[in-house]
Amino acid sequence: MMTSILFYALSALAIWSGWRVFRVDSMIRATFALMVSFIAVGAIALLLSADYIGVATVFMMAVEMMVMGLFMIMFMMNPAGLNPMQMVHQYRFSIGAGVASFVGLSVAVLTTALPVSPLPPGGETLRDLGTELLGNSMLIFETAGVTLLATMVGAVVLSSASGRFGSGSQGAQPPGLTEGGAPAGRKVDAGSGHSHHGGGH
Amino acid sequence: MIVVLAILGLFAFLIASIWAAATLDAVCRGWIAGGGTVSPAFTPLRTAALWLSQQRLTTEAPDRLNALLSIAGYFALGLVGLALVPIGPDTTLIALPTSVVAWGACESLVVVVVFLHGWSPNAPLALIGAYRYVAIGLPIMLLSMFVLIAAALPAQSLDLRDIVTSQSSVWNVIRQPLGLPLFILLGLSLTLRGPFDYADSADLAGGTSVEASGPDRLGWQIARLVMLTGFSAVAASVFLGGYLGPVLPGPLWLAIKTLAIMTVVIGLSHLLARMPVARMMGLIWIGLLPLSFLDLILAGVLAL
Amino acid sequence: MSWISRLAARAPVPVFIAQGESAPDALARLALNPAIHVVDSPRAACILLISGRIPSALADCLNRLHDQLPHPRATVLWQSHAMEPFSNAVEVDASDDIANALSATFADLLAGDRPSEADILPDAPPNEWRGIGPHGQGGKGMMGGTPYGRPMAKTDDDIRDGLSLDAYTADFGPFLPMFPAGLALTLTLQGDMIQAVTVAHPPFEGDTAARERLLRLLGLSALALRSLHGQKGDGTFRRLVRLSRARAAIPADLGRLPDGSDVRSRFDAMVTGLQTAPASDTDMTLGDLLVGLEWHEALLVINSLDNATLRGVCARMDAPPDSTNDATHADHDMHAEHMG
Repeated sequence: MMTSILFYALSALAIWSGWRVFRVDSMIRATFALMVSFIAVGAIALLLSADYIGVATVFMMAVEMMVMGLFMIMFMMNPAGLNPMQMVHQYRFSIGAGVASFVGLSVAVLTTALPVSPLPPGGETLRDLGTELLGNSMLIFETAGVTLLATMVGAVVLSSASGRFGSGSQGAQPPGLTEGGAPAGRKVDAGSGHSHHGGGH
Repeated sequence: MIVVLAILGLFAFLIASIWAAATLDAVCRGWIAGGGTVSPAFTPLRTAALWLSQQRLTTEAPDRLNALLSIAGYFALGLVGLALVPIGPDTTLIALPTSVVAWGACESLVVVVVFLHGWSPNAPLALIGAYRYVAIGLPIMLLSMFVLIAAALPAQSLDLRDIVTSQSSVWNVIRQPLGLPLFILLGLSLTLRGPFDYADSADLAGGTSVEASGPDRLGWQIARLVMLTGFSAVAASVFLGGYLGPVLPGPLWLAIKTLAIMTVVIGLSHLLARMPVARMMGLIWIGLLPLSFLDLILAGVLAL
Repeated sequence: MSWISRLAARAPVPVFIAQGESAPDALARLALNPAIHVVDSPRAACILLISGRIPSALADCLNRLHDQLPHPRATVLWQSHAMEPFSNAVEVDASDDIANALSATFADLLAGDRPSEADILPDAPPNEWRGIGPHGQGGKGMMGGTPYGRPMAKTDDDIRDGLSLDAYTADFGPFLPMFPAGLALTLTLQGDMIQAVTVAHPPFEGDTAARERLLRLLGLSALALRSLHGQKGDGTFRRLVRLSRARAAIPADLGRLPDGSDVRSRFDAMVTGLQTAPASDTDMTLGDLLVGLEWHEALLVINSLDNATLRGVCARMDAPPDSTNDATHADHDMHAEHMG
C-alpha cells in the first residue's frame, strides 16, 4: 500500500518535472528540473529493490546535470530571473521525435512479457547485477576501467597549469644544457598557445 | 514506536551538535585570535535571534525558488547523511544495502545545492563562488569515492552497517591510515570551511551568501552545521568504528566520535590557509588523487 | 518587545564599515572588540559605520550601499563630515567611545526607540526594461540584449587558453572589505578570471591594514584578528602563520615587481614585521599586474602592495580599451555595480 502510494507520487513528480524542463525560462531551472525527474526515477528503482541502480542514478545525474548546467551558463551567462529565455526550438522536428519515441516505447512496454513474481526481500541484488552485467568478462572490464581512469588522470596532470619545466603558460621548453643555451631535446613550436588572441584586443 | 524514538533522538542530537559546533567555532576562533571570547556558548544563539528579526532582502530579479530549495536541500542532505549512520547493530533510520553509495549521492548533490545558492541571488560575487565551488567540489568528490571504496573492501559490502561491524577488531583509521585524513579534506569542502571554502570565502566578501540577509542567512548557516554533523557521523562510522566501544552504550560512543571528528574539522578550518583555486586543482589531481589510489591499493592488498 | 528581539539585542553589533579618507587609526582595531562584529557584507549588518571623509565622487556609491542594509538599520558617522542624506545619523567625535556609541544605537534600534532609516534611493531599476526578444528575453535569439539597461554577458576572446566564454564587466568597490579602502575597479571577468581592468577610483592615502586583509584572503580570519594586536615579536602569531602553510598557499612568482619582490616575499616581510622600503618606482600598470589572474590571486596581488606603490600603480592608467572592442564596454554608466 505504502509502496504503491510512493510509486505513484514519484511517477507524478518525474513526469511533472520532466514537463517543467520545457516550460521554464531559465537554463538552470531547466537543467535541475531534469535532474529532479531523474532522481524521482532513481527513487522508483529503489522501490523496485534495485538498490544500486537507484542510488547510482541519483549520483550520476547530479554530477552530469551540474557539469551540463555549468557549461551552459559559462557560454550563455544569462542571470537568474533577469533575462528570461525561450527553452524550446525546432518545434516540428521535436514534436515528431516526441510522438515517435512515445509510440515506440509504449509498444515495447505493452508487447514485452514483464516478470510478475516479486523479488524476495534481502536478496543479493548487487552481486546478481554484477554477474549479470559482466559475467566472465569481469577481469577485462575492470582492467579497462582502471586504464581509462589512469588515462584521465594523466591527461589532467599533463594539462595542468604547472608544466614540467615551470609554468604551463610559458610553454614546455626544457632548460638549456649550458647556462642560457638552446633548449635541450626536441624543438618546441614557440608560442603556439598564444597565436590567436593578438588581434582581438 | 522505536522508529519514532529514533527520529526524536536524531533531532535532539542534531540540535545539540549544531549548538556545540557553533560554540566550538567561536572558542577556536577566539583562541587563535588571542582575544577573549565573551560567552561563546550564547553568542551563536543571540546572533541567530538577530538574523531572525532582520529583514529578508532580495536582489533585483533573484531566483527565489532555487534560493529556498538550496537551503532546504543542503539541510536535507546533512540529515540524510545522519540518518544513514547505524546507531547499533542493524539499527539505522535509512536501511539501504548500498548506503555508502547513497552518501556519495549526497556529496554530489551538495555541489548542486551550493551552486544553486550562488546562482539564485543573481549577483557577480555569489556566482563566482558558485563556479569555483563546482570546479573544486567535483574532483574532491572523486577522492572520497576511492577512500570510501577502500573502506568498503574489508567489509566486502557497500552497507555502512557491515562497514562498522568489520571494524570490531581494528578500526579503519589504523588499517587504512590515509583514509581519514583524505576524507576530512572532503568534509572541509562539503561544509565550506577553511582551506576548501571556495564558495563562501572572504575574498568574495562571503561568496554565495554575500547577498543573503536575515532568515536566509540563518537558514544557510544552520544547514552548513547540519551538513557538518552528518559528515562527522559518517566519518566516525567509516573510520572510527561508529557505535562500537566498551562500557558506554553504542549511540553515546557514536556521539563522542562524531564530536571528535567535528572538532578536528573546525580546528583545521581555522588553522590552514586557503590557496588560489588553480593551485588547489593541481594539488588535488597531482597530489591527493594519487594518494587516494595508494589508499585503495593498500586496502585491496590487505583485503586479499 | 518579544523575547526574540530581547535575545537579539545582546548579540555582537553587526557593523559594516564604509571607510573614507583619513579615517581614525582605531578603526582597524574595532574588530577586536568582542561586542562588535565587523561583517563582510552590508546584507549582514545592522549599522553602517561611515568613518573618515567620503569624497563627493563616491557619494552615490555610499547611498546605494546604505540601501543594501536590511531593516532595522542605522548609520553612524565617526569623525566624518555631515552629508545630506545622512542627516539622521548618529555622529561620533574623536573624544567619544565608538564601541559604546555603536552598542547604544543598536540597542535603541532593536528596542524600537530609534526608527529604522528609510531608503535614500528609489527602489526601482535604474533603466526601463529594454528586452526585444519575442519571448520577453533581453536580446535577439537566446542571449544578449540590455534588460533594465544592463548589457548581458556575451562570449569574448579569452587571453589564456582560447576557450571563448562569456565576458562580464562590472564595477567593484570602493567599499568592498577585501579591497584597500577607496579602491574601485571596473573589471571584465570571464568566470573568475580578469580580462581587463581600469581604475574607477584610486585607494586613499595612508592605508595600513594590508596585512590583516591578506590573512583574511588566505582564509585565516582568526589569525587576521590576532595580527591586529600589533604586539612586536608575537611568537605565537608567527608560529601559527607557519603552521597554516600560508606561504606555500601563495603561488610562486605571483605579482612580481621589477625590484624582484613577489607576493610571497612581500607577505613574509609583512608577517615578520619588517619595514621594507616602498618598491622602487615602476612603470607597471594595474593591468600588467592583474590581467590573466583569477579573482583570488588578483586580490592577493592588490593587497600585497604597500599603499604608496599601489597608488602609484593605479595612477598610471592603462591605454584606453580599443573603442572597436565591443559595444557593451563603451556604455560605462550602464554596468551593474556591486559595492558590497
